[in-house]
Amino acid sequence: MKSIILIALLVNISYTQDMLDVKCLSCHRQQQIPSAMIYRKYLLKYSTNRAIKSAIYHYIKNPKEKQSIMPKPFFDKFPRKKRMNTEDRELEILIDKYIDRFDIKKRLKLKKSTDKSTDI
Amino acid sequence: MLQSEKQSLIRFLIIYLTSTIFLFSIASWIFYTSSKKNILEKQQQSLKYEFQNILSTIRNLHQSNDKILYYPDSQEYKSAMFDLDKEYIFGSFDKDISYDYRDKEVLIYKEKVEPYYLGCAYLLLAKDIDYSDIFKLKKMVVFMLFIAILFFSILGYFLGKLFVAPMKGSIEKMNQFIQDTTHELNTPISTILTNIEMLDTFHPELSSIDEFSRIEIASRTLSRIYDDLSYLNLNHKYHREIVSVDMGEFLEQRVLYFQSIAKLKSIDIELKVEESITLEIDKNDAIRLVDNLLSNAIKYNKMAGKVIITLNQYALSVEDSGIGIANSELNLIKKRFHRANSSEGGFGIGLDIVNQVIHYYNFKLEIDSTQNMGTKIKVIW
Repeated sequence: MKSIILIALLVNISYTQDMLDVKCLSCHRQQQIPSAMIYRKYLLKYSTNRAIKSAIYHYIKNPKEKQSIMPKPFFDKFPRKKRMNTEDRELEILIDKYIDRFDIKKRLKLKKSTDKSTDI
Repeated sequence: MLQSEKQSLIRFLIIYLTSTIFLFSIASWIFYTSSKKNILEKQQQSLKYEFQNILSTIRNLHQSNDKILYYPDSQEYKSAMFDLDKEYIFGSFDKDISYDYRDKEVLIYKEKVEPYYLGCAYLLLAKDIDYSDIFKLKKMVVFMLFIAILFFSILGYFLGKLFVAPMKGSIEKMNQFIQDTTHELNTPISTILTNIEMLDTFHPELSSIDEFSRIEIASRTLSRIYDDLSYLNLNHKYHREIVSVDMGEFLEQRVLYFQSIAKLKSIDIELKVEESITLEIDKNDAIRLVDNLLSNAIKYNKMAGKVIITLNQYALSVEDSGIGIANSELNLIKKRFHRANSSEGGFGIGLDIVNQVIHYYNFKLEIDSTQNMGTKIKVIW
């Protein structure tokens, strides 16, 4: 039973990851849109995942230049995004996956110095 | 140094030094607090400087494409990033900390930052307080306080000596006067007493004459005053010869001595003495002690009053039915030249002498008195 649940979970993860690649990142790659850089822009402005998610959601629902976090010259170089016909629930999952994939904070590590120890 | 001079000097020094130490302690405390604050502010400044360095590193990390982003960490400073919801993101502390992290041993600097590099909206920086400078400051303040106390003690001693100098002069003059007077009185008193004794021996019929009795009583009183004054003058240089004194026998002698004076006021002296009670005491001290107690009991008694002398193994008490002493006067009467009642003559040296004898032999003096009822003075050994 346990193995069935585990397999189902892995399949689900793999499916949503694939969904992100298929539904979002495939176009990004094709159009050479810097997805990681866009995430960092969001992070720089909104700080929390909750706020980033909300901002991306509103942009995808209404993809206008005014709603975007990217500066005007960005749209001169890259094509404007078309409105997506994705269900809300699915869209939220995709945004979560996007944030998870490009989350720069996950790459943070401590570089231990060799100085004497401290009490803090 | 005279006893009173010593007392005045000690009192002056106590007041002077207490107030000086108090003021200096307050000043030292203010100085210590403000200096400590400065030291901590200096350390806080270094924290602010480090804050900018860490912030700059975070900015670089945000733009970095490296696979691993090394967060700044040092042994001296610890930092942590919090997002806009004040949730912990990452930090160099040993464990995750909350935004409200506090520790009294640690200096903390926290500031909102914008834009939010790595999502960091608040950056917290902490550093162990360096107590070495504070400890140095403490040592310096204690040392300064010690030097100040030493300086003001020496200054106070000389100031005190300066203040009591006029008093010392007056007391010395008075003592010199008493010394001269007693010296001058010695010969005439001795002459009077010798001649009275001669008259008593060769003309026994004179004893029944009232005028002669009065002369005899007055001479004895004068002789006692002379003895008291001599005792006070010689007290410091006086060589005591401690012998075993049979107190019962001794008291009978002294009562006999005072009998004629008591008779003048029709005072009845009752002696309640337990037998074979001896005391290791100088004879002259015993005389001064008992004579002064008896003299006071007679002097401050009512006409046809009563004096009860009780002697037991532990104490001697002299109880009179006299005017009594007010409660407010009880603590003062043992001092020299103090008289609780000025209706009778005297110098106010009686109880001072009693007190001196009691102090010398480590006896204890208890005074129980009710105004217009009487006084009971108890010497406990």
